[in-house]
Amino acid sequence: MHHRTVKAALAATALAAVLALSACTAAGTATATPDASSAATEGAPGTGGSAVGFIMVGPRDDFGYNQAVYEAAQVVGESYPDLEILTAENVPEDDTAVATMEQMIDRGAKVIFATSYGHLDAATKVAAAHPDVVVVQQGNTIEGAPLANMGTYFGTVYEPMYLAGIAAGEATESNKLGYVYAFPIPQTIANINAFQRGAASVNPDVETVTVSTSSWCDPGAQKDAASSLLSQGVDVITQHQDCTKTVIDATEAAGAFTVGYHADASELAPQGWLTGAVWDWAPLYGQIVDNITAGEFVGGPFNANYRVGYKTGTNPFVLADFGTSVSEDTKAAIAEAQAWLGTEDGSPFVGPVLDQDGATVVPDGVIPTYDEVDGMNYFVDGVIGSLAN
Amino acid sequence: MSAPVIVKPPEDSPSDRAVAPRQAQALRIGAGVLRWVLAILGAMVIFSILISFQGANPLEVFVDMWASTFQRPRSLTEILIRMAPITLAALAVVLPARAGMMNVGGEGQVIVGAVGAAGVGLAFDQTLPGGLVMVLMAGGAVVAGAAWAGIAALLRLVFNVNEAVTTLLLNFVALDLLLFLIYQPWRESPTAQPSSREVAVGAQLPTLGSTGVTIGIVVALVATLALGWALARTRWGFKLGVVGGNAEAARRAALPVTALLLSALLVGGALAGLAGWIELSAVELKLRPGFGMQIGYIGFLASWLARHRPLPVLIAAFVLAALSVAADSLQLDSGLPAATINILTSLLLIAVLGWTTMKGRKP
Amino acid sequence: MSIVVDVLSGGVRGGTSILYAGVGETVSERAGVINLGTEGAMLAGALSAYMVASHTGNPWAGALAGAAAGGAISSVHAVLVVKRKANQFASGLAVLFLSLGLTSLFGSSYVGKTITPFTVWEVPLLGDLPFIGPILFQQDPLVYLSYLVVPLVWYVLFRTRAGLLVRTAGARSEALTVHGYSVARIRMGAVITGGFLAGLGGAHLSIAYTNSWFENMVAGRGFIAVALVIFASWSPLKVFGGAYLFGAALSLGPALQARGFEINQFALHVIPFVLTLVVLAVLGRRTISAAPAELKRVFENAPVDP
Repeated sequence: MHHRTVKAALAATALAAVLALSACTAAGTATATPDASSAATEGAPGTGGSAVGFIMVGPRDDFGYNQAVYEAAQVVGESYPDLEILTAENVPEDDTAVATMEQMIDRGAKVIFATSYGHLDAATKVAAAHPDVVVVQQGNTIEGAPLANMGTYFGTVYEPMYLAGIAAGEATESNKLGYVYAFPIPQTIANINAFQRGAASVNPDVETVTVSTSSWCDPGAQKDAASSLLSQGVDVITQHQDCTKTVIDATEAAGAFTVGYHADASELAPQGWLTGAVWDWAPLYGQIVDNITAGEFVGGPFNANYRVGYKTGTNPFVLADFGTSVSEDTKAAIAEAQAWLGTEDGSPFVGPVLDQDGATVVPDGVIPTYDEVDGMNYFVDGVIGSLAN
Repeated sequence: MSAPVIVKPPEDSPSDRAVAPRQAQALRIGAGVLRWVLAILGAMVIFSILISFQGANPLEVFVDMWASTFQRPRSLTEILIRMAPITLAALAVVLPARAGMMNVGGEGQVIVGAVGAAGVGLAFDQTLPGGLVMVLMAGGAVVAGAAWAGIAALLRLVFNVNEAVTTLLLNFVALDLLLFLIYQPWRESPTAQPSSREVAVGAQLPTLGSTGVTIGIVVALVATLALGWALARTRWGFKLGVVGGNAEAARRAALPVTALLLSALLVGGALAGLAGWIELSAVELKLRPGFGMQIGYIGFLASWLARHRPLPVLIAAFVLAALSVAADSLQLDSGLPAATINILTSLLLIAVLGWTTMKGRKP
Repeated sequence: MSIVVDVLSGGVRGGTSILYAGVGETVSERAGVINLGTEGAMLAGALSAYMVASHTGNPWAGALAGAAAGGAISSVHAVLVVKRKANQFASGLAVLFLSLGLTSLFGSSYVGKTITPFTVWEVPLLGDLPFIGPILFQQDPLVYLSYLVVPLVWYVLFRTRAGLLVRTAGARSEALTVHGYSVARIRMGAVITGGFLAGLGGAHLSIAYTNSWFENMVAGRGFIAVALVIFASWSPLKVFGGAYLFGAALSLGPALQARGFEINQFALHVIPFVLTLVVLAVLGRRTISAAPAELKRVFENAPVDP
């Protein structure tokens, strides 16, 4: 028995020793490399780094959101041979993201892209603790004035979704479209609404049935959602999930049409692929990194909620190639609508816009601003589903 | 399996210190240390082989992991922050184990503890002073964690249903309770990802000076020392050991077995609840869908690594926390998935569980 | 399609992976060993099935590989608890973490790969039956296989000598020793068989149900399977009902949503677990008395109050 007591004592001593040792080495490291921190306080936030970090919520080859991020990150690496590109996959949308970003900072990163909507809290924490580092967040919105070393950026995803809605509205025979989404966040709501309005612009009888999975990537839940939609007679399915493979696969197997999202996944649906909205982040990432490394971030365009769309001409969301079943007439209609969206009077949400209860939410002739669309909290007329999900 | 009928004294009682000759004792300790060293080496070798299949150089991986985990300015802070809830979740297993019970429900008790703390915080953090709210939240966590373990205790003591089964099932109920709350009643905004409102700044756990380490680790240390003292030096601790050794004998010795079992589970649940409070008020600040994921199970394993003894729990929790900090290095330095760290962690556990004790121990 | 058919067919489809794992866990627990690593065995099965299906183009080869991987990783648990007398709960969790790590390490390059999956095959005649047809007979081949495997497991457990040995290992292991059987070998066999079935469940998830591989995609189904065995009071046939109940609870949410209903799905998810707890409380001794005796000893370090 008693040797266990000795063991416990030994163990406690060992713990104390390890703690002391770590403290010493930690202190040693801190004093040994004073250049990194002191140099940064002289320069502007985000300058003087040797690396750029990207954190992603899912795997980098998900046929979706994270794959688009990863590929663009690699392009940034090619344009900046002096900067090491640090990428981290499967970073949860909780406090562990803070540690991962700080590990990137310890490896020389002065610029960090926190690329999932739910990374905003962690990004804010890191930006507040590291004034010399710039953290930009993809897709969420900062309320009030952002910190001097923080901003968000995104494209107007709903514009290409409106166009894809046109293709869906022409393709459907049951007049029922399906939408599998993760969470009812404003950008998703705007996408669903734009998709329905695009479809209704060519097919007044169409409706869009929505199902949420409560996860950016849960193949089991996605399969359940797609099955429920298909059994309702839906014959075109699109989605707002990070990993898109499962839903596309289920849709193709059922002989229904697919509208893709995030990435061109037409290889997964050779029969049913219509089109899709696809990210091309590389040009925007390049602009952001240029801006930050030149020391121009503070007070600049990216030190805010930066949004681009067809009107600014630099939407990182582009339309994927069309599938074989899309007719020339439909393609022409889409091209026309795309040109219209780029003009002053063009928007998926030109009033009158009615909500699900038939109440007018955008008055006749009014065009909501990008900011207003970013704050959407209702489904439009023709969408089946409850936001309370 | 058959336990001796005699009533055992507490394990570290000084009475048998003089019995064993010193040499034999030294030999046994030497053999024990050797087993541990071999177990750890074995785990590292197998891990090396596995990652080299994926093209990684094991030596570089270990060097990078060491540097990343122990030599960055922030690494000790990160380890201590992660270690605090793991320690408390492990103590939640240690205590019932002393009374011969198995608490597999730390996971749920941590979650419910955080839910209790959040409930109190959401109710009062806009009206009462921050320091008071912080203490009230801790109280809410303790009550909630104890109550959750109390359900299992009730089922065992009244309906005779085993606590290992019920605590495990209650983990899933706890997770669904958390999700239910943050998807509707406690949701900060209907058009955001589900989460509760952030704990008010004043009610968050303060840090120790400028270190970034929150007082969570102090709470964990104090709880460990207090539990160690209580088990070794109080009548309560002694009686728990007796019940754990042989409840029948304990009953014959007129010990209040039911009350003792109940107290062990309730205090265990309260400790896990505290872990949830610390994770909420010091780390996450909001309840989110993945809240506290695996802290309970990792604590369970920490308790086994430590052979259900309070002080060694600190080492086990430190090692497990350090391993989780090392995960980022695998990804950032070696290009391996971060979750690969689970291989090393589990091999270590398997080696320790299977190969550091003599065969024939009580399972 | 009516919502009842929709939910029930979804329950069968989504419950099948849980069914395989639950039946496997029943075998293991009947021999006196609880395996929390079932979740890990399912993960290993899901990845291996996906890998092999991707390389061979043959989903049956994938299913076999998935089952083999589930058995292989469970053999770690078997050795730890049977040979090394490690604590069953701790060992199971360690195996789960091992599987999480291994599947992450070797699975990352398969996330973007595509496979030839099992496809839905409608059984002639039976598939045309009203109500029953779409629920039971418009499914994939691994679902049909489960209709055969589960009764087979029941038959082996309760009507054959091998089954008697397994049950005796769980009920009165001394009796085996007296007759010269190796309890250790029988228990190892039962645990590995359980892992084999859990691996098949994982394979259903990756190559018949979702046709995808993602890190940690089993998402708790293995733990549900362990709970299910208690719910089913260690009977393979009752596992059928339980698995489909869990499956239906998972598919009721989307089915209601697709019809425009407002629903907090977690109020649904929790039902099977609460039901299990209530059953345990109400039936108390009766349920637990259905448990294999040696398994009860695993649970109970100390005797319960009279």
